[in-house]
Amino acid sequence: MSTPLEIQRQLSRVLLFFARQGAAAWIAHLDTMRLFERAFNRAQWPVAWTEDAFNPRPMLVFGLPAGVGIETRRDPLEVTLETPVDMNCSVEKLNRLLPPGVEVVAWGEAPATKKSLMSLVKAADYLFEAPKICRAFEKTFSSRPSVIVPWARKGQVKEINLTPRILDARKITDDTLCIKAGAGSENHLRVDLLLEALVRDGGLSDESAAGARIIRERIYGDLLF
Amino acid sequence: MNESGAFAMKRFNSPAYRSMLRSVEKPARYVGGELHAVDKSDRFFSLAEKDRVHFALCFPDLYEIGMSNLAIQIIYALLNRDENVFCERCFAPAADLRSYLKQRSMPLVSIETMTPLSAFDIVGFSLHYELAFTSVLEMLSLAGIPLYAEDREENSPLIVAGGPITCNIEPMAPFFDLVMIGDGEFLLPALLEIYREHKASGRSKTDFLRSVCGMDGVYVPSFYKVDYHDDGSVKEIKTADPCAPAVVRKAVVRDLNLAPIPCDPVVPNIEVTHDRMILEIFRGCARGCRFCQAGFTYRPLRERSPETLFDAAEKLIQSTGCDEIGLLSLSSSDYSHLNQLTRELLRVTDAKHINLSLPSLRLDAFSLQLAQRLAKTRRAGLTFAPEAGTQRLRDVINKNITEEDLFGAAKTAFENGWDRLKLYFMLGLPTETEADLEGIVDLAERLLLLWGEIPKTVRSKRLAVTISTSIFIPKPFTPFQWERQISIDEMRGRQSHLASGLRDRRVSYHWHAFESSVIEAVLARGDRRLAQVVENAWREGAYLDAWHEHFKWEIWRDALTLIPGGADFYVRERREDEIFPWDHIDIGVTRDFLNRERKRSKEGRLTHSCFDGCAGCGCDVWQTGLCPAALSGRDRSTDREKV
Repeated sequence: MSTPLEIQRQLSRVLLFFARQGAAAWIAHLDTMRLFERAFNRAQWPVAWTEDAFNPRPMLVFGLPAGVGIETRRDPLEVTLETPVDMNCSVEKLNRLLPPGVEVVAWGEAPATKKSLMSLVKAADYLFEAPKICRAFEKTFSSRPSVIVPWARKGQVKEINLTPRILDARKITDDTLCIKAGAGSENHLRVDLLLEALVRDGGLSDESAAGARIIRERIYGDLLF
Repeated sequence: MNESGAFAMKRFNSPAYRSMLRSVEKPARYVGGELHAVDKSDRFFSLAEKDRVHFALCFPDLYEIGMSNLAIQIIYALLNRDENVFCERCFAPAADLRSYLKQRSMPLVSIETMTPLSAFDIVGFSLHYELAFTSVLEMLSLAGIPLYAEDREENSPLIVAGGPITCNIEPMAPFFDLVMIGDGEFLLPALLEIYREHKASGRSKTDFLRSVCGMDGVYVPSFYKVDYHDDGSVKEIKTADPCAPAVVRKAVVRDLNLAPIPCDPVVPNIEVTHDRMILEIFRGCARGCRFCQAGFTYRPLRERSPETLFDAAEKLIQSTGCDEIGLLSLSSSDYSHLNQLTRELLRVTDAKHINLSLPSLRLDAFSLQLAQRLAKTRRAGLTFAPEAGTQRLRDVINKNITEEDLFGAAKTAFENGWDRLKLYFMLGLPTETEADLEGIVDLAERLLLLWGEIPKTVRSKRLAVTISTSIFIPKPFTPFQWERQISIDEMRGRQSHLASGLRDRRVSYHWHAFESSVIEAVLARGDRRLAQVVENAWREGAYLDAWHEHFKWEIWRDALTLIPGGADFYVRERREDEIFPWDHIDIGVTRDFLNRERKRSKEGRLTHSCFDGCAGCGCDVWQTGLCPAALSGRDRSTDREKV
């Protein structure tokens, strides 16, 4: 895991990188947000609140939502604080008070930009573990110029081409596939759609797809170290 | 305190487990791993089987409901404090997981260690409403545990139950080995300690049941035999075991300050129905509304000290990080130190963006002031529960709310800009006539007029009044336990009468489906013969009946044909001297008192609250709390804060 660049720094706009595994990987994005809000309360971080008179919210921005059942290793989360805190102590305390399986693995200063954290995110590394997944991937993508899957959302079905969203793919073992994929507001790859395509076109069994282990290893983006 | 370790994590490495989680909605309901969830597996395996007690704490409804329940948090924390007791949770699976398990013949397992329920020593159900009965059977069935106590072998788990509705558990009696009645805080740990000794010495289940059946709060249904008259009413309740007491008295925690408050509650990873910290400020109620079962069965009134509560609140805030704290009781305004407690709490909660919620406030000036102070943005609206539309009927039910109270409170609320008002009523209360229904319509109209009289400069731009009605259900241990429930035709008629009366567009009328009220009424005052009805309904697919979308009236209606007279037999008015199926249970309030109260209700006479002296309910036997009989000799006014 990466370590902080400078020790004992006092920060008021912080970028945290967190991992989630085990039970915590099975909650939805809104629940992840609430989970962190509560953890910050417990750890007594002086999180700043939005000025909204009717619905003030703690100022937390997640780089990229993680779907239910996706483990993460290094997802970014930006926190704005009312007063700077000693990061080493604060992160240690936070980690003690997070539920099992959730951990802050690195931190740094939030990027000095007016752009939102979400708009900085460009790509992500994923690890898939499922029997014969590499063969299914090859079969799906090597013989076709594009892999198009339907995506139903809000009652409308859109056709999504997965091919340009996959930036790189690497076989680790027959059953472990590493993929670098587009992420964020443009060119985002939904991993559930990828698995669907691997079942439809690559001969991956439904059972293997449903039982796959999915890990988001890291997220790439402008100004995200 | 964070003890969930490697053991709990292992399951996530299994493709089959992940596949199951991906096939259901909200998988987080089943995976555990929450903050403060307890995993003592190391200790578990270090103990010999005979030296430990493995207890499955079951809630016969979904995770979101069960984890909102204070009883679950209390028992979970309480039992796991004992290093030889291993308490794990299990909730009713939603329909999707239920079919998944059935299709694959997979057993229902606990959350913490995925142990099948059948492998526990004791499986305990926390029961809070009658419509959860079929879910109990479903959970037992999914676990492969025989439903009937008499069909279970010596090595089957002991199936037990507790919770507020166990004061009449007769419709479920044949399914449970042991039922706890009253407060569980001291009873349950004591029972488990005796159980452990029995287990270590290898004695039988019956031996265990015999050794504990004399304790306050312990009811062993199989130790009682019920005979019936030809008309189906109870002829006699006899003991069927020499050790069984003729009458089972409920367990009472005499000093609530000694009952542990779970200050490290499990913090769910997903949003649950009541997503807040809960602080029980007192137990019991002094008021005596004649329809209210909790108001009688939780007596005597026992308070926690403001110091205990404030201390617990600080710990809860620190340990959970939740953004809302709710004070729990049957009538918040009656708490002696409400002013002091809320003042101190608000100082902390305001600074930390925490909402303080206070249900069940009375309609007085102080309460309104407080409500206003609590509702920072007034989004929540105000809720009043007059329960009945006329003063006459409110006197019948002993609901001490007058029209002056109601309109006084509404006026203050309107003057302070509240724009939403919700009013709760019951339909089908004893002696209700059309005039009482008109009273509800009239009340709504006069509230609108009152709002119109408030200067535009202070009142809100618009007003929304919600009238909400539920159907009266006569409950055991209330003065109305003899009364009938109105028929479905009457329910339909009264609802449509109201609906047609409430025509102003500023008023919306909400009502509850009435078929489930009938089943609730049947089960609430039911006898043992209903066990076959519950079983039959469950076999035909009844499950999670408290959910509107799952409740199937036809199934219940058909199942009830097993009993001569069907539902009508149970919802009828009972004879004054009729033996009730729950007559061998002593809940504190006496049948004599309830009968006196019933007669007073017929005369429209009010009965004063315990604060104004003893009305003779019978709970003075415990000589504790704010029971006036226990306080006699002391000047009560010094105990109550001047507000």
